[in-house]
Amino acid sequence: MTTMSKTDIQIAICGSAGDGTIAAGDILRNAVAAAGYRVIGFDVYPPEIRGFGKCISRLRISTDQSYSLKRHSDVLLSLDDSQALPHAGEVRDMGAVIFESQPIAPCQEGEHMSARVLPGQIPYAFSMRELSQQATGGGRARNLVALGIIAGLLGLTPDPFRAIIARKFGKQGPEIVARSLAGFQAGFDGATRTFKLDDVFFSPPGQADTAQRVIMLSGNAAVARGCLDAELDTFFGYPITPATSIMERLAAELPKHGRRLLQTEDEIAAIAATIGAGYAGARAATATSGPGLALMSEMLGLATITETPCVVFVSQRGGPSTGMPTKTEQSDLNAALYGSPGDACRIVIAPTNVEGCYRCAGKAFEMAERYQTPVIVLLDLYLSNRYETVTLDESDHAFVLDANKPLPRLEPGETYRRYALTEDGVSPRAVPGDAGHMHVITGLEHNELGRPDDSETMHAAMSRKRHDKLQAALRHPEFAVTRRFGATGRVKVGLLAWGSTFGECLEAMFMAQAQNIPCAALKVVMLSPFPVREVASFMDDCDQVLVPEINHEGQFAQLVQGTLARPVTRLSRVPGSPMPVELILNEIRRLAQG
Amino acid sequence: MSIPIKPVFVDEKLREVQESGRLAYRSHALPTWCPGCGYFAIVEGLTHACNAMNLPRDQTAVVSGIGCSSRFPFFVDLYGFHTLHGRALPVATGIKTANDRLTVIAVGGDGDGFAIGGGHIAHAAKRNVDITYLLFDNGIYGLTKGQTSPTSAVGLRTSTSPFDNPERPLNPLLMLLSYGVSWLGQAYAGRPDHLRGMIADAIAHRGFSYLHILSPCVTFDKTSRTYVNLGLQVREIPEGHDPTDLMAAMRLAQDTDQPALGLFYHQKRPTLGDTFDEIAARARAKTAPATD
Repeated sequence: MTTMSKTDIQIAICGSAGDGTIAAGDILRNAVAAAGYRVIGFDVYPPEIRGFGKCISRLRISTDQSYSLKRHSDVLLSLDDSQALPHAGEVRDMGAVIFESQPIAPCQEGEHMSARVLPGQIPYAFSMRELSQQATGGGRARNLVALGIIAGLLGLTPDPFRAIIARKFGKQGPEIVARSLAGFQAGFDGATRTFKLDDVFFSPPGQADTAQRVIMLSGNAAVARGCLDAELDTFFGYPITPATSIMERLAAELPKHGRRLLQTEDEIAAIAATIGAGYAGARAATATSGPGLALMSEMLGLATITETPCVVFVSQRGGPSTGMPTKTEQSDLNAALYGSPGDACRIVIAPTNVEGCYRCAGKAFEMAERYQTPVIVLLDLYLSNRYETVTLDESDHAFVLDANKPLPRLEPGETYRRYALTEDGVSPRAVPGDAGHMHVITGLEHNELGRPDDSETMHAAMSRKRHDKLQAALRHPEFAVTRRFGATGRVKVGLLAWGSTFGECLEAMFMAQAQNIPCAALKVVMLSPFPVREVASFMDDCDQVLVPEINHEGQFAQLVQGTLARPVTRLSRVPGSPMPVELILNEIRRLAQG
Repeated sequence: MSIPIKPVFVDEKLREVQESGRLAYRSHALPTWCPGCGYFAIVEGLTHACNAMNLPRDQTAVVSGIGCSSRFPFFVDLYGFHTLHGRALPVATGIKTANDRLTVIAVGGDGDGFAIGGGHIAHAAKRNVDITYLLFDNGIYGLTKGQTSPTSAVGLRTSTSPFDNPERPLNPLLMLLSYGVSWLGQAYAGRPDHLRGMIADAIAHRGFSYLHILSPCVTFDKTSRTYVNLGLQVREIPEGHDPTDLMAAMRLAQDTDQPALGLFYHQKRPTLGDTFDEIAARARAKTAPATD
């Protein structure tokens, strides 16, 4: 083996709630990112804080950025065999299964990981509890011992681990830091003294481009960063999984800039205050999940008819109703597109990766203000909670946010027309405080002045105005509403996808190309207004079109079919987890043969 | 509180109204209320109060929900937002959070405030957001043509309670006091001079001020809250009432047979805007020494 080879290793850590599984995953991904590797990671955890729920932290570490997790992990570390047993099978041939050699309680025959390691997998039994006891005087540092084992076994340099452990536990005082470092060291020493894996090891990462900074962010952290870079003034929110961490981050950051965040009494109040702030001229946003979006739907219609800018981040989870709060799904597309009475048009955009979360967050404010409309940014739990290393170009001032048209100069006695019918449908917008432009906005259908008017001609004119002005969003500056990957020209199979599932589609497409299947993939970022031209021209190039998505009804497939009146092949699954890449690949192969 | 009776001459009155300057606060939209509605007195009261306080029209916003009372913003020449049923307070909170310099006045009826929007009042009061809430209580749903409301009297017969309303009415004043309101007053649309003074005091208060305004619905309630009945029931706040005494205010609020008109309670405490500023100062102090 040479150092020129590229790293692509996936590690899974599995335990019970309370074992420190997620914390160990967090330290590991930060340490390898600090060492210069590219990372994509996703944690699965139960809705309960304590108890016996399963926690898995999966992490794919590579030299070049990857787009999804792999089906097979190279290493599985079990902190609790009762949870990890079903996952032994996800470790590839010649991969490592690391487990506790001395469980705290006697276990039934066949209930110990040693009984489940498959032929071809390499078992590593460590007495993590004993190592923790010896090094720290207690068993609580087991997860750090485990980290040390991973680092030692795979040849990772320990320094970044030490720095991150010191930072993570710094708040709890020097004693805890020392104990945690001792636990890590015990695991590291134990693993360096054992035999190494043949083909799972880390090659030195490439040198980072110095003009750009590589940082690791979760999707929600990227959204919060996008909000801050777009100079968000006010945020109103109500806690709900998996959107809460957007609010938590902004709660800490906004006040540093003299800006404001309010936790409201419910989601209705959150969107109401967001619209109120938008009306008053502030840049305003809220974040929620499907159940909150349902509560917000009446208010979103108010934002549409009053043409008030506001941004709503919606991180989808399993539904309907309370559904599966800690499982991912893409089943709120219809609610995002249509969830409001009346012809309540709005802009809906959906990023496909963590970097996209940052871009879409900032662009959402540009669009909300330029087109005077609500904008929904549709995420999902998999995207909100997954970690990726992203490259942020720090030099550029990312977003252009002075979209307001100049207010007309009013002649004496002239009344300001808030909803003046203009060529592009966007009217110059005055806000409270602007001298002489007093006006009333209303959820009633209104005339150009904003006064109630339910005449046939006015309702038709205003409906047209509200819809037509959004078409310009399809040509919004520096925003790709769709993007094509893979082969150019005619292909056998075209993948049409949106949101987080696009990463799996891309991986599947690359695998299919490696098998000489001509294929391409189109990611659709703007879902409303629908990019009819781009999607139609992509479909023109495809013999077969496959639409993979994580919902039962095939909501995006229905949107495509309904809008373009062309058939597509659906791949709709609701596993509560990301779409398996192999499943998409199998469909591509089936369609290519057909 | 007696009503002075003296002759009024049209030309003198017109001159007086014009010279007062308060017409500047009236819009040219015609009110949609029934002749004789108590709400005319409230819109007059607000223009009087704004004029007396010399409020800049472009720095004042009136926010309403849905209902007869919620048409209010169209009839004044201020910034206005006619929102959704029950949602005036959270929208007003958003406006005030976005711009502290604005004077924000929320208006709405008893159904808007205490039925569909009932969940928001507690939080506006608790946060002490610096807005004024004028609640027009006529004890009935007028815009939908006469149904029972949360403040309808027991026994009121309406189209949705044809066998008479069996439910006890809410006591809004007692609710507001227990929510921690920092200014609470009551007025009556049939006493317009007193009403305009109360509106001005409510706006002048720094913090969440709640003014409960009793009014008849002349179209759909001919038996319960008529001008005659309300006129006989209301009384002045008893002499010697201490408006800083919460328990005294609560006792006063429990007398619903003889509603007292005047200031029940007031308290000075930090507003939502003050707490935002304090949080920002703390956040900055915490980050200032960092070197990275």
